Amino acid sequence: MTTIIDGNAVADDIKADLESSIDALADAGIKPGLATVLMSDDPASETYVSMKQRDCEEVGIEGIHVEIDPDAPAEELYDTIDDLNSDPEVHGILVQMPVADHVDDREVIRRIDPVKDVDGFHPENVGRLVAGHDRYRPCTPHGVQKLLEAYDIETEGKDVTVVGRSNIVGKPLANLLLQKADDGNATVTVCHSRTQDTAAKTRNADIVVAAVGVPELIDGDMITEDTVVIDVGVNRVDADNEKGYELVGDVDYDSVEEKASHITPVPGGVGPMTRAMLLYNTVKAAGIQKDVDVDLH
Amino acid sequence: MTEIMDGEAVAAGLRDKLRSSIETLADHGERPGLATVLMSDDPASQTYVNMKQKDCEEVGIEGINVELDPESSPQELYDTIDDLNADPDVNGILIQQPLPDYVNSRAVIRHVDPIKDVEAMHPENIGRFVAGYARFRPCTPFGVQHLLEEYDIDTQGWDVTIVGHSDIVGKPLANLMVQKQEGPDGSAGEPHATVTICHVETQNLEEKTRNADVVIVATGVPELIDGSMISEGTVVIDVGINQVEADNEKGYELVGDVDFESAKEKASYITPVPGGVGAMTRAMLLYNTVKATSIQTGIDVELPSFCKGGIPPYTPEAQTHHPAEPADQ
Repeated sequence: MTTIIDGNAVADDIKADLESSIDALADAGIKPGLATVLMSDDPASETYVSMKQRDCEEVGIEGIHVEIDPDAPAEELYDTIDDLNSDPEVHGILVQMPVADHVDDREVIRRIDPVKDVDGFHPENVGRLVAGHDRYRPCTPHGVQKLLEAYDIETEGKDVTVVGRSNIVGKPLANLLLQKADDGNATVTVCHSRTQDTAAKTRNADIVVAAVGVPELIDGDMITEDTVVIDVGVNRVDADNEKGYELVGDVDYDSVEEKASHITPVPGGVGPMTRAMLLYNTVKAAGIQKDVDVDLH
Repeated sequence: MTEIMDGEAVAAGLRDKLRSSIETLADHGERPGLATVLMSDDPASQTYVNMKQKDCEEVGIEGINVELDPESSPQELYDTIDDLNADPDVNGILIQQPLPDYVNSRAVIRHVDPIKDVEAMHPENIGRFVAGYARFRPCTPFGVQHLLEEYDIDTQGWDVTIVGHSDIVGKPLANLMVQKQEGPDGSAGEPHATVTICHVETQNLEEKTRNADVVIVATGVPELIDGSMISEGTVVIDVGINQVEADNEKGYELVGDVDFESAKEKASYITPVPGGVGAMTRAMLLYNTVKATSIQTGIDVELPSFCKGGIPPYTPEAQTHHPAEPADQ
C-alpha cells in the first residue's frame, strides 16, 4: 500500500506550530517582517511573490513588497537591499529569482545581510550548512526533510539518491542529508545530466529525490519496490484542457506510485512545504535578530 | 598495469610554476606572506607548522609564525587574528587545528578575513565553491582534484565514491566533484562526477566502493579499504595518514586508509602513503597563498591552470569592495 505524502497537511501543521513562536515575538512587541523584492515582469514570478505575501498574512508575518522596474540599473536593486538590510522591521529578505539579465544574481545574493537571508542562499549561509552549523536551511531541501520526518522516514544509514545538482535544491539537500545528524547520516548519491546509468542509482536507493526540472524523468522502471519517492519538480506541459497546460513533476506518478512505499504528488507535495519553510525561516530570523527565544523545532 | 601516482612529483611541478607567479609579484614589489598560528604544544601540530613554514621559504613566500600559549585566553587568539587580518604583509592566515578545547574553533574560523582564508574553511568560502564560484578551494580536496587532472583522469560522468564526510576532506571534496562549470570552450571544465558520499552509518560500503570508477578514502581508519572492496581498473585515492605500531626503530609506521598492497593489485591508479595526497595538500596551500596575494594586491599573476579543458587562470578585476571579487573560473 503506497502512502501519498500530503504536503498541504504537513505544511499546515508547520504553520500552526509557528503560531506560538509568533505569539512569543508579539509578547516582546515584535512582528516578524518579510520583504519580497521583485525585479521582473514575468507573470510566474509575480504569482510566486503574491503567494508568499498571502502566506505571510495568513500566519501574522508583516509582508513588505518592493517592486523594481526590470529596466532599472542594478544599483537600484542594491540600494533597495541596503535599505532593507538596515530596516529593523525587516527580518527576512527574499529577492525573487530570476532578476533582470543585466543584474548579477550572485552579487545580489551576497548583498543581502546573511542574518536576513531567509532563502539561505548567501555563501556564508551555504557554508554554514555544509559545515554542520546551519543558520537558515534553504526552503525546499528543509521542506523535504520535514516531510520525511512527518512520515517517520528515517534517513540514517539509508541510501538516498538525489537527482539534480542545482544550487537551490540538489546541492543543499545532499549536504543536509550527509551531515552527522539525526535528520542526516544518509549515504547520499548525487546524479545529474552527466550521470551514466541514473536508473542504476535510483534502483539502488531507499529514498529517491527528483529535482531536475525534466517532466516525468523518473518512471516506475527506475525504482524498486518500497522506495520513498520525493518529487520536487513542477513542470508545465501542454495538455488538452481549458488552460492548455497541466503541472507534472519530475516523476511519472502513475507508474512510480505502483511501487513506491511513499510518494509526493505534484502539486500538493513539496511545493507547500517550500512556502511553509520560508515562514519558518522568517520567524527564526526575527528571533535571532531580536534575541527572542522562538522555540522552533 | 597499476600506475602509482607520484604526489611528490606533481607537487614539485606545481611549486615550480608558483615560483614564476611569485616572481611576477616580486616585479611589482610584492611578496606573498602566509601567517601560521599555533596555539598548542602538541608535537604533531608543531611539526605541521614547521613543514608549512619550510614550504613557504622554499618557493619564496614570507612565512610568519605566531605562537600562542595554549593556556592563553580565546581573546588573545582573536586579537592575533585581528592583527593579521589588518596586516598588509599577510596575505594568507592558517590557524593550525586542533585548538584547545575551550576555544570555539568555528568562531575562530569565522574570525579570519575570508579574503585571507587560504584554507577555505570560512563559511563564505565554502558557500562560494559549493555554488560554483570558488575563491579558494580547501587544500586537500583541491590537491586531489589537481592530482587527478595531472594524470589526465577525466571524471566527467564517472561514479566517484568518497568514503568519509569530514569538514576538511569528505564534504568539500564531494561538493567540488559534482561541480558543473563548463570550460570556456565548452569542454568539461569541472569534474562533473556522480558522487556518492559514504561514512560510518553507510550500509554495504563495499557495494559502493565496488561500483565506483574512482574511490577516495578519507576516514582516518587504517587500511579500511582493501582489494576485495574495489573492482578492477578503479582509481584509488588515499587521503588517510595513520600512525600504527610497527616492529621498527621508530616503533610505528605510517599507513593510509587503504590497504595498499591488495588494492594495488586491482587499481588502475593508486596513491601511496606517504608521497601521495599529503604532498599535494601542502602545495595547494602555497597556491592559495599566491592567489590570495594576487586578489589583495590586484596584481595579475598567471596561476597554474588546474582544470581540464583549459579553464583560464584567475584574473583579478578592479577591487572595489570585498564581496565583489570575481570567481576563479
